[in-house]
Amino acid sequence: MSMNVILAQTVVNGLMVGMIYVLMAIGFTMVFGIMRIVNFAHGEFYMVGAFLFAILYGSNEMQFAVSVFLAVGATALLGLVMEWVVFRRFRGNELNGMIASVGVALIIQNSALLMWGSSARTVPPVVSGVLSVGGIVFPWSRLVVIIGAIIAVVSLNLLVGRTRIGRAMRAVAQDAEIAQVQGIRVDVIFPAAFALGVSLAAFAGVLMAPVLSVSPFIGLAPTLKAFVIVVIGGLGSVPGAVVGGLLIGLIESFAGTFVSASLSEILQFLVVIAVVLLRPQGLLGRKEREA
Amino acid sequence: MKSPTIKPAQYFGVLVAVALAVLLPWFAPNQFYVHLATVGCINLMLVLGLAIIARAGQLSMGHGGFALVGGYVSALLSMKGWPPLLTLFIAGLVAAVIAAALGWIILRLRGVYFVLVAFAFSQIAVLLALDMSSITGGANGIVGVPPISIFGYVLRAKPQFYPFALGCALATLLLTWLLYRSPLGTMMAATAENQRLTESSGIDTHRVQVIAFTIGSGIAGFAGALSTHYLRFISPDSYTFWESVSYLTMLVVGGRDGVLGPVIGVLVLTPLPELLRSTEGLQHIIYGTVLVVCLMFVPNGLASLVQIWRARQRVIATSATLVAKEVP
Repeated sequence: MSMNVILAQTVVNGLMVGMIYVLMAIGFTMVFGIMRIVNFAHGEFYMVGAFLFAILYGSNEMQFAVSVFLAVGATALLGLVMEWVVFRRFRGNELNGMIASVGVALIIQNSALLMWGSSARTVPPVVSGVLSVGGIVFPWSRLVVIIGAIIAVVSLNLLVGRTRIGRAMRAVAQDAEIAQVQGIRVDVIFPAAFALGVSLAAFAGVLMAPVLSVSPFIGLAPTLKAFVIVVIGGLGSVPGAVVGGLLIGLIESFAGTFVSASLSEILQFLVVIAVVLLRPQGLLGRKEREA
Repeated sequence: MKSPTIKPAQYFGVLVAVALAVLLPWFAPNQFYVHLATVGCINLMLVLGLAIIARAGQLSMGHGGFALVGGYVSALLSMKGWPPLLTLFIAGLVAAVIAAALGWIILRLRGVYFVLVAFAFSQIAVLLALDMSSITGGANGIVGVPPISIFGYVLRAKPQFYPFALGCALATLLLTWLLYRSPLGTMMAATAENQRLTESSGIDTHRVQVIAFTIGSGIAGFAGALSTHYLRFISPDSYTFWESVSYLTMLVVGGRDGVLGPVIGVLVLTPLPELLRSTEGLQHIIYGTVLVVCLMFVPNGLASLVQIWRARQRVIATSATLVAKEVP
């Protein structure tokens, strides 16, 4: 293999992993921006989405689109229940909300372990074959992940930027009290935003299920990545999550291919420290108004 | 904790509790209880370390990382022939130095950011332990860490180790209590209460938080080393994310104010997994539920119930004396 081929494939891999991180980080940062909750259980929703997809598409051989819809929808429903039972009580209470989300993560992960067992499952690939451009081949299975994630990010952008509910969400993120005074139903926006954030995580899980294997323990790693990314990009900033996610994905892919996987983790940590030192609000974050 | 004087009843209560803890090996039905008590002592030190950091208004999710660093430092040095009694303190010191350097950088961050970065640090500690396998033994860890010996007396078995662990835990408890009552402790509490107001009173809150983080993480390093010499083994799996979470859980369930909270949290949550062992897979689910339910209904921890009860007693007592005065 020539250098070009390796480079191109490293970039594709980096973009794929990066886009998954972007999806995770956007959901995470949205929930924080609007509800002020650092959701340690975010990755568990990714896991649930991946599992449901594996069961529906892999084991029950349902249609692809139906499986995606059901897996994401059911996870969003679970998110709504969790918001209703647990998270709404901790709105605005950052530290307690964060610890409570750890409890929720424990509950979801171990429930999955009880229900579905600890062994890893594989999901049959959605597409096969390769795309060859100028002598460089890309497996379609990975391109599908990138395309799917781009569609999700673009439609989310339209939803938040162009629709009524999106505008309401932005208003609540800026100042919940003032938004309420303006007639925005805050008690509808909170669960809606939480469910939306969780759906993004579930969709990321669905996309990754055919590429990686699925087990109850896959949720923690993407949660950690989401943390790192939002610190780099700025907590609460969606464009920051996109930039941070792609950056981390590419670092991981390049360091993993050319040096070693653990070096990439250490490199990411150094990037975080550097960002914290030089630009504490994150690359694209806005300085927070102190209360 | 507000009352500056200590009532004789409180002295008595503390004495009884300490006596019970000291006498435990004699009335414990078997060795397993002694083991559990030793683990409880080590947990108490870790949770107290976390409580000190929390006293200054920060939560650390990377606490296990410092315990891991301490454990490895002490294990490696004592394998080279250094006396374990000395390496315990070196372990604490190394963890404290790392915490000071890291804290100085990351404690400029608001609460949540700090948690995220401290947490990332603990992941790096685990990764380094895995990666530098020529020194740390990689995923297999280090087996056969030498036991602690005091003036030639080797603490090899459980009944011999327990008094030492208890002594360390009580010393940490006393130090924490003294710290809370010192001017520095007041500065820490003030920083947690209102950082800007404290800053405007001429206190360098950044420094206060770095000091608290350094002390708390140093204790974690010491406790991690203690645990390593007790189990005579350490691996990257010894202190993972879930260990950090469990210390935090103990602190939150027990209560974040004062020294009573960590004690209660450790007493309740150290034996809990053992009691739940028969429920197999439900164990962690129950653990998570306890955490969430506690946060919902007793957000200030179980220790706050004692304070509420005490305050109520005080009100009843004063109203009773008033009534007694009015009714001849």
